[in-house]
Amino acid sequence: MKAVYLDHAATTPIRNEVREAMEPYLSESFGNPSSLHRWGREASAALEDARATVAEALGAHSREIYFTRGGTESDNLAVLGCCEFMKTHEKRLTLVVSAIEHSAVLDPAKLVTERQGIDLVTLPVSQDGVLDQELIRLALESGPTVVSLMWVNNETGLVFPVPEISSLVNELGGTIHTDAVQAVGKIPVNVRESSIHLLTASGHKIYGPKSTGILFVRSGVNLVPLVHGGGQEQALRAGTEDVAGAVGFACSLQLAVEEQQQLCKRLTALRSVLERRLLETIPGLRINVQNANRVSHISSIAIDDIDGEDLLAALDLEGIAASGGSACESGSTQTSHVITALYGEETSTATVRFSLGCETTEQEIEQTIIKLTSIVTRLRKLGAAS
Amino acid sequence: MAMSGGVDSSVAAALLVEQGHEVVGVTMKTFCYSETPDHSKTCCGLDGISDAKRVATALGIPHYVFDVEDAFDRDVIDDFVTQYAQGKTPNPCVRCNGYIKFRDLLSRGRSLGCDLIASGHYVQIEHTHSQSKILRGHDAQKDQSYFLWALPHAMLKSLLFPVGNLTKEQVREHAQAQGLVNANKPESQEICFVPTGDYRDLLRERLGELHPALQAGYLVRRSGEIVGEHNGYAGFTIGQRKGLGGGSPEPMFVLSIIPDTKEVVVGTRTELFDDIVIISGLNWLGEPIEDGTETLVQLRYRAPSVLALVSHEKNQIVLRLKEAQAAVTPGQSAVLFDQENRCLIGGGTIVSAHSSD
Repeated sequence: MKAVYLDHAATTPIRNEVREAMEPYLSESFGNPSSLHRWGREASAALEDARATVAEALGAHSREIYFTRGGTESDNLAVLGCCEFMKTHEKRLTLVVSAIEHSAVLDPAKLVTERQGIDLVTLPVSQDGVLDQELIRLALESGPTVVSLMWVNNETGLVFPVPEISSLVNELGGTIHTDAVQAVGKIPVNVRESSIHLLTASGHKIYGPKSTGILFVRSGVNLVPLVHGGGQEQALRAGTEDVAGAVGFACSLQLAVEEQQQLCKRLTALRSVLERRLLETIPGLRINVQNANRVSHISSIAIDDIDGEDLLAALDLEGIAASGGSACESGSTQTSHVITALYGEETSTATVRFSLGCETTEQEIEQTIIKLTSIVTRLRKLGAAS
Repeated sequence: MAMSGGVDSSVAAALLVEQGHEVVGVTMKTFCYSETPDHSKTCCGLDGISDAKRVATALGIPHYVFDVEDAFDRDVIDDFVTQYAQGKTPNPCVRCNGYIKFRDLLSRGRSLGCDLIASGHYVQIEHTHSQSKILRGHDAQKDQSYFLWALPHAMLKSLLFPVGNLTKEQVREHAQAQGLVNANKPESQEICFVPTGDYRDLLRERLGELHPALQAGYLVRRSGEIVGEHNGYAGFTIGQRKGLGGGSPEPMFVLSIIPDTKEVVVGTRTELFDDIVIISGLNWLGEPIEDGTETLVQLRYRAPSVLALVSHEKNQIVLRLKEAQAAVTPGQSAVLFDQENRCLIGGGTIVSAHSSD
């Protein structure tokens, strides 16, 4: 039986159009964009074309797009760079994040607030996926505030009302960053239509190359750079640019935005089959934040009375790739801070995330339902016996 | 197949694949190295996990990492600390094998649909229709049967030890021939959860600097005569010569540790010999030995086995050694072998030892 890849929220393959767009910049057009000669000019032109494409796709100006080495770097640059800059001008500063942010935001948030004496406010999220916006208002009214909220949660697919919150933040004079890594290509993401100040996007979640991404920095927002050197990317991100990566990222973003509506329609249908059938066949199963606003490609499923590590390994042995919480460096699964924030500690419940993609088929969904059902039955039987 | 990322378990996995078994590689994550500054240990840590993954991929088998940190912390590390606090010298590998590693492997294996579980220990296993026996490893230098006495008896029938009939050299040769990434990886010698190499760092962290086990006390002779000072009895083990200071005409050794008074009792080499050993927590892997029977007992890893007369006395087992042995250490294991010194028949933890003279 064919292997089924349902872990598109972890990463995706590079699509052919992207690979083809990148190829010249891996070989004959290898120049350094900073060089004055023909090779340099070619590379520089490609880089700026890519920047223009990205800007166009997100509704930004080219000079507001900074290429980075991926989502994590963009999140770090936004959180650390913004807080550090503000702290040089403000005596008191508050940083507001949600409890279910990616660790690429939570870790730098913890670091910068400890180091710089900034107040950190972590917003709880209810089991229905609702964020208490009053707490954001309170923080903003108390003084200078930076807010970092993910647009789409990577583990559950939950969508935060980022445009709405960014209006509130703007109204009260704060600064807002959003990690839109799982949002681009899945929901409309446009910075012209909202008042977001900083936005992170990543290439490898949308069929682009790994280690590529951007930070959108609205004109007038100042950041302290993390990487210093040759002054590339308007001195915000030094280091010779990855031209092929930028070209690949731009191509993948453009296609993802163009195809977004169509893809989401298809994935919504597939996912609803998956979830409906699983709810029917497996007792003690819950779809996390089922009734909240969710993106179409992620389904986070909680299953009672089995072990999450056993479940994921058993699925893999059956050729089905899914994931638990966020995978740690070693590949062992840890209790997810996201699921814990939403539902509290659940010791005997396994969480599995299926994330669908362009190439996911009805047959694959069917196969997944059958395999998952039989694995859960088997593991529960073993669990009851021991 | 339990894969630590070391050469033994890697070759064991390769052998199982060659033999036509359908193999699933598993690494138990026992201890989180990311919280310590030193990431360079060769086993159990991240290096081990990534090496295990590379080897599994090269062998074309799946590999999973299972997190047993909580159980390991409770059943192995806590016990290790408690034993030192009680003036004993613990044997964490025995506890890990007996309480964590194999039990978890077996239940994980069942979940994954496996019939047998295997590890890279240098021991052999003999399965007949009626029973299974653990035998010493073929390589006497590497034999690890000492560490396996606490395995649940019922588990033996499900075990495989693919390198048990090989020498370390043959294992290395096999790894090189197969081009395994860790063919030349050094042996792991340190206790896997003591990344600094000094277990007293761990004791300080867990017990606090002010714990009596880490406070200064007296070095005394059996007579009670004070002959010096020490900086914490947890730093000593029976038979130890180092750290006792000089000045005596004869070399001095640690004879015993008395936690209540924080005293470390020292004496000459002749005083170090005991011939009566009390053990507890006995676990039988073969037919229990009847009272008054002679058997062979190994009192330390790599120590030769010695003849002992076994008897049950007040819920404990008493071993009367035919010849007195030096430095019989409470906390270490007393492991019983058959008359041929080949088959592991059980073991227990040494509670105390004394001389019949």
